[in-house]
Amino acid sequence: MTTYIERTEKQKISDQRAAAIRLKNNRLGMNIFQVSWIMAFIALIVVNWQLRFNYSQWPPAGVPPFDLILPSVATLALLISSVLVVQALKVLRRGFPMAFLVKWRLAIGLGALFMAIIVYEFLNVSDAAMATQYGNTFRLMTGFHFVHALAILAIMCRVYQGAKLGKYSGDEHDSWAVEGAAKLWYFVTFAWMLFYLVLYWIR
Amino acid sequence: MANNFGNRPSISPTTIVVAAVYLLVSVVGINWFTTFIPGIFPPQASAESKSVDELFFILMIVGGIVFFLIQGMLLISVIAFRARRDDTSDGPTYHGNVVLEIVWTVIPALVVVFLAVISFNVWSQNSAPKANVNMVNGASIPINVIGARYAWTHTYETGRLTPNGDPIIINSGANLHTYIGQNVDLSLQTQDVIHSYWVPAMRVKQDLLPGDPRQGGRPTELRFTPVRIEGVAYPAEYPIVCAELCGDGHGRMRGAVIVYEDEGQFLEQFFEPAIHAILNPPADPVLRGEVEIQNYICNSCHVLDSLGWTGLTGPPLNGIADRAGERVPGQSAEEYIANSIWDSGAFRVPGYDQQMAAFGPEVIDPLNVMTPEQLYSIVAYLCTIGEQSDCDMENSVTAIPDAIKTVFGMEVDITFGMDGAATDDEISDTGAVEEAAESNTDNDSA
Amino acid sequence: MATIAVPLGGGQTTQEIEAVKRPALSEYLRWSVDHKIIGVQYGVTSLLFFIIGGALAMGIRLELWTPELDFMVSGAAYNSLFTMHGTIMIFLFIIPMWAAYGNFVVPLQLGAKDMAFPWLNAFAFWLIPPAGVVMLLGYFVSPAEAGWTSYPPLSTLFSGDGQTLWALGAHLLGLSSILGSINFIVTILNMRPPEMTIWRMPLLCWAVLATSIIAVMATPFLAGALTLLLLDRMTGTTFFDASGGGDVLLWQNIFWFYSHPAVYIMVLPGMGVLSEVLSIHSRKPVFGYRMVGLSSMAIAIVGFTVWAHHMFTSLQPELRIPFMITTMIIAVPTGIKMFSWLGTIWGGKIRFTSAMLFGLGFMSMFVIGGITGVMLAALPFDIHVHDTYFVVSHFHFVLFGGSVFAIYAALYHWFPKITGRMMDETLGRIHFVFTYLGFLITFFPMHIVGMLGMPRRVAVYDPAFTDFNRLISFAAFVLGFSTFIVLYNIVRSYFHGPIAGANPWRALTLEWATTSPPPPTNFHDDPIPYEDPYGYGTKAASAYIEAIDMAFDRREPAPSGAD
Repeated sequence: MTTYIERTEKQKISDQRAAAIRLKNNRLGMNIFQVSWIMAFIALIVVNWQLRFNYSQWPPAGVPPFDLILPSVATLALLISSVLVVQALKVLRRGFPMAFLVKWRLAIGLGALFMAIIVYEFLNVSDAAMATQYGNTFRLMTGFHFVHALAILAIMCRVYQGAKLGKYSGDEHDSWAVEGAAKLWYFVTFAWMLFYLVLYWIR
Repeated sequence: MANNFGNRPSISPTTIVVAAVYLLVSVVGINWFTTFIPGIFPPQASAESKSVDELFFILMIVGGIVFFLIQGMLLISVIAFRARRDDTSDGPTYHGNVVLEIVWTVIPALVVVFLAVISFNVWSQNSAPKANVNMVNGASIPINVIGARYAWTHTYETGRLTPNGDPIIINSGANLHTYIGQNVDLSLQTQDVIHSYWVPAMRVKQDLLPGDPRQGGRPTELRFTPVRIEGVAYPAEYPIVCAELCGDGHGRMRGAVIVYEDEGQFLEQFFEPAIHAILNPPADPVLRGEVEIQNYICNSCHVLDSLGWTGLTGPPLNGIADRAGERVPGQSAEEYIANSIWDSGAFRVPGYDQQMAAFGPEVIDPLNVMTPEQLYSIVAYLCTIGEQSDCDMENSVTAIPDAIKTVFGMEVDITFGMDGAATDDEISDTGAVEEAAESNTDNDSA
Repeated sequence: MATIAVPLGGGQTTQEIEAVKRPALSEYLRWSVDHKIIGVQYGVTSLLFFIIGGALAMGIRLELWTPELDFMVSGAAYNSLFTMHGTIMIFLFIIPMWAAYGNFVVPLQLGAKDMAFPWLNAFAFWLIPPAGVVMLLGYFVSPAEAGWTSYPPLSTLFSGDGQTLWALGAHLLGLSSILGSINFIVTILNMRPPEMTIWRMPLLCWAVLATSIIAVMATPFLAGALTLLLLDRMTGTTFFDASGGGDVLLWQNIFWFYSHPAVYIMVLPGMGVLSEVLSIHSRKPVFGYRMVGLSSMAIAIVGFTVWAHHMFTSLQPELRIPFMITTMIIAVPTGIKMFSWLGTIWGGKIRFTSAMLFGLGFMSMFVIGGITGVMLAALPFDIHVHDTYFVVSHFHFVLFGGSVFAIYAALYHWFPKITGRMMDETLGRIHFVFTYLGFLITFFPMHIVGMLGMPRRVAVYDPAFTDFNRLISFAAFVLGFSTFIVLYNIVRSYFHGPIAGANPWRALTLEWATTSPPPPTNFHDDPIPYEDPYGYGTKAASAYIEAIDMAFDRREPAPSGAD
C-alpha cells in the first residue's frame, strides 16, 4: 500500500517535471521561431531597400507617395490590439476568464480592422505606383504580412472559442495555447512595425 | 589490462627519421609544385595576368606549406601512433595546450592578413582605370560587347561617318581585335540573361547584367592590356568563354581575342579593311545581304552552316528557302521571309518558342534597326539558302521589293542609295569615299 | 580511484534490462514520433536521394567523356543533370543526412529521452519525401535547368515549369530545415539532464547547435528569395526583371545570404562527427575541447558576413574588398579545428577502423578544400577561376571530401548503435580505398582544367581538355562504383553483421551507455554522464567503460529475430 502511494507520488512529481519542461520547451521554441521567421520579413526589407537603388528618388518620379492616414490608423489599431492581448493574458493568469474574453475579443476585432484597412490599401495602389517597384514591393510586403496575420488571427479565434468553453485556466501550464497565440500576435505586430517604418516613413 | 596511463606522447627514433625525410620531401615537393605553375595557367597574354600569376605563386607557396605540414603530421601520426594488434590500452589523457592553441590561432590570422594585403594590392593595381583606352589612330573609340544567347558580338564605334552621315560601326562578331599595348576597356551589355565574359589568357572576367533598356541597360566594364609573349606569331588568338550558365548552348558561347603585333598591323589587317567593307558594300543584293545579316545577332539563335552559325534557340536557317513558300498559305516565299524578320511573332515555327526580337526601321533597340534596303538584301541572301529555292530567283530584283511593299507597304530603293549615275568604278573608288568620311569626322570633332 | 562502482544512472542491473529488439521494418514506413525511428527515416531517405544524385553525376561525367554534345540529347538536358545533381545532393542528401545523425545521436548523447518536440520532428521529416517528389516531377514537364543557384533571369523568364516545381520543392525543404533546427536548439538547451552541463556536451552536439543556429537565421532568407522567384514566375511581378525596375543582383544577394551559411550547415556537423571519431578511435581526449566547440560558433557567426564572395564578378568593384577580408578570416577558426584534430590523434593509439579511416580521409581532403578556399578568397585570383572547374573542385573537396567522408565515418561509427550490429570492417576498408583514390583523382585534376580555362556547367568544351576529362570521368566511375560497396555492406551487415553490444568502441559519451539499439525511452532510467566526454586514458574512464560493459553486455546477447 505504501509503495503504491509512493509510486503515485513519484509519478505526480515526474508528471509535474514533464509539464514544466514542456512549457520551457514551448517558450524557447516560440522565441527561436520568432527570431528565425522575422528574418524572412527582414529579407523582404532588404528587397525593398535594394530595389530603391534602381531609382534616382523614392518614391520614383511621377509616383505619388502613399497616403499616411489610413495605414497609421491601422497601425494604431494593431498596437492597441497587441496591448489588449498583453492585458488579456495578465487577467487570465490572475483568474478572470470573463475579462480575458472581453479583451481578447476586442483584440481580435482591432486586428480584423487592421487587416481590413491593409486589404483596402493593397487593392488601391495606384497604377503609377504599380508600374514601378514602389507599388510592387508594397504589395509584396503587405501581402506577405497579411498571410501571416490572417493565419495567426485564425489561431486567436480558435483560442477564443476554446476559452469560451472554459478550456484554459489561469495556470500557465494548461494555457500555453493562449500564451502561444499571444506571442504570435506580438510577432505580427513587431513585423508590421518594421514594415510600417520601411514602407511609409523611410524615404 | 595493460594500461600505461598518463604517458606523454613519445617519439621513437623511427619517427624522427620519417619526419626528417618528410621535411626534405616537402621542401623539394613545394619547389617541384611551383615549377608546374606556368603549365597550369593559360599563356600570360596581358599585364594583369602577370600579377595574378605572381599572386597565385605566393598562394601556392603558403598553401603548399600548409598542405605538407598537415598531411605530414597526419602521415607521421598514422605511422608512429598506430596501435599494435594486441594493444588495448588508451592514449595519454592530454587535454590541450593553451600556448599551442594561441600559436595556431595567431599565425594563421597573420598569414591571412598578409594574403589579404597582397591580394588587395594586386586588385587595386589591376582594376585601376587607365588613361588612353582603346586608342586607334590616336583617338579613343568605344568598344562594346553584346552577349546574347549564345554568341558574343563586338562592335567598334569608329567615330567616322558614311557619306550618308550614318556612323560607321564595325561589327567583328565573336572576335575582339586588339593589339599589344592597347589599353582595352570594354563596355559589356547583355540582351537576355546573365553572361560572363572571360578571357582566360588575360585572367579577366566580368558578368554582363541585364538592365532596363529604357535607361540604357546596365553596362559593366572590363579592362586589360595585352602584352607580348616571346615566341608567339602575331596575330595571336586567345579564346573568350562564357563563364555564367546562360542556358542550352552555354558551352558553345565562345569567341576569340585576336591580338595584333602593333597598331599598324591592327589597322592594316582589321580596322581599315572593315571600314572599307562598310563603305563599299557589294551592289549585288545577295552578296550585300550576306554582309548585312552578319551585322545582326541572328547567329546567337540560328544554325546556318554557310556562315558557321551554331545558335540553338531558334529554328535552323539551313534550307530556309526550300520551305519558305509552304509555311503560310497565301504568302510567297519572299513575303514569308520578310515578314518573319520584321514581324517575328507572325508565324511560330512548330517546336520553338516565340523569343525572337523585333527588327525594323523603328524599333527601340539600336542593334535591331533595319531599313527596307537592308531587309531586301537579307531576304535576297536567304533566298539562296536551299537546294531548289521557293523564291522567284529570276526576278529577285523586283519580286523581293514587291513582297516588302505587299507586306509592309514600304518602297525599297534597290540601288541602295546610289543613284543610277553611280558606276561600279565610282563605287569602288574607296579612297574618295573614305576621305569624305574622314573629313566628315574631322568636321565633327572640330 | 580504485572504485568500480561508477554511476551510470539508477537501476541498471543486469536483471532489469530487457533484451531490446530492433524495431520492425514496417515501423520505419509510417508516422512515428520516436526520434530514433525518425533518424533512420531521414537517413534512408537521404541515401535514396544520394543514389539518384550520384546517378545524375555519372550522367554528367559520361557527357564530358568527349568534348562534343553526344550523350545527352541537348544542352538543356545536360543543364538539368547538374541542376538536379546539385539540388538533390545539397537539399535532399547532405542536409537531411545530418538531420538523420542529429536526430538519432544527439538526444542519446545528451541523455535525453526524446527530442523537445517529437511531433514537430516527425512533421519536419515528412515534408522531405513530398518535396523530393515535387522536384523530381520536373522531369515530366521540363526539368529545372538554371543550376542549383537558379540565377534570374535565366530561372524566371527563360525556364520552363520544372523551375516552378524546383522552387516549390526547395521551399518545403527550407521549412523542414527550419522546423528541425528549432527542435535541435531547444533539445540541446533544455533537454539535458542536470549532470550534462554545457561544457560536458559532446562536440557533435556543439556542432549541431551551431548548425541549427545558422539554419534558423539563414533559411528564412531562402524562403524570401524563393517567394520572389515564384511570384516572378507565376504572377508576373518584376522583382528580378530589369525592364520592370527589378534587379538580378537582388536574387544573388538574398540567395547567397542563405546559401553561403548553408555550406557551414553542411560541413559543421561533419566536423562534430570528426571530433567524436578521431578521439574515440585514437583513444585520446579531444585536444582543446572548448576551442573546438567555440570555433563552431565562430564559423557560424563569421559565415554570415562572407556571402558576396560568390558575386566577385558581378558585384560593384568597390564592394568586393570587404568580402575578401571576411572570407579569409573564416579560415582561422577552420584552421583551429584542423590543428586541434591533429593534436587529438598525435600521440594516441590509433585504431584503423573504417570510421577512423574516413575521419583521417576527411582531414587529408578537407585541408585541400581549405587551401583552395583561401585562394578563392584572393579576389584577383578568384576573378580568373570564378565559375570554372577550379570552383567545382574546391566545393567538392569541402562537401565530398568534407561532408560525405564525415557521413561515411559517422555511418561506420554509429551503425552498431542504430542497428545493433557491426559493419563489415574489411568491406569498409575496401570502400575507403576506392572512395579515397576515386575522389582524389576525380576532383584534383579539376583544379587544373579550371585554371587552364574550362568553365563549369558546360556540355561542350575545348577539345584540348579531353584527356583531363577522360581521367576525371574514369575516376568518377570508380567513385560511383565505391558507393555500391557501402550499400552492400549496409544491407549485409544489417542482417548478418556480428552483434555489436552496447559499447563496441569503448566510448565514454552517453549514446553508448544503453543497449544497441536503444529502447524506446532511450535509457532505463536517468543516465549519469561521465565527467569528461573524451577523458580517455584514466582509470576512472576505464572503470566507467567497464561498468557499461558490466551493465549491458555480460549476458546472453539478444536473440536476433529475422525482422
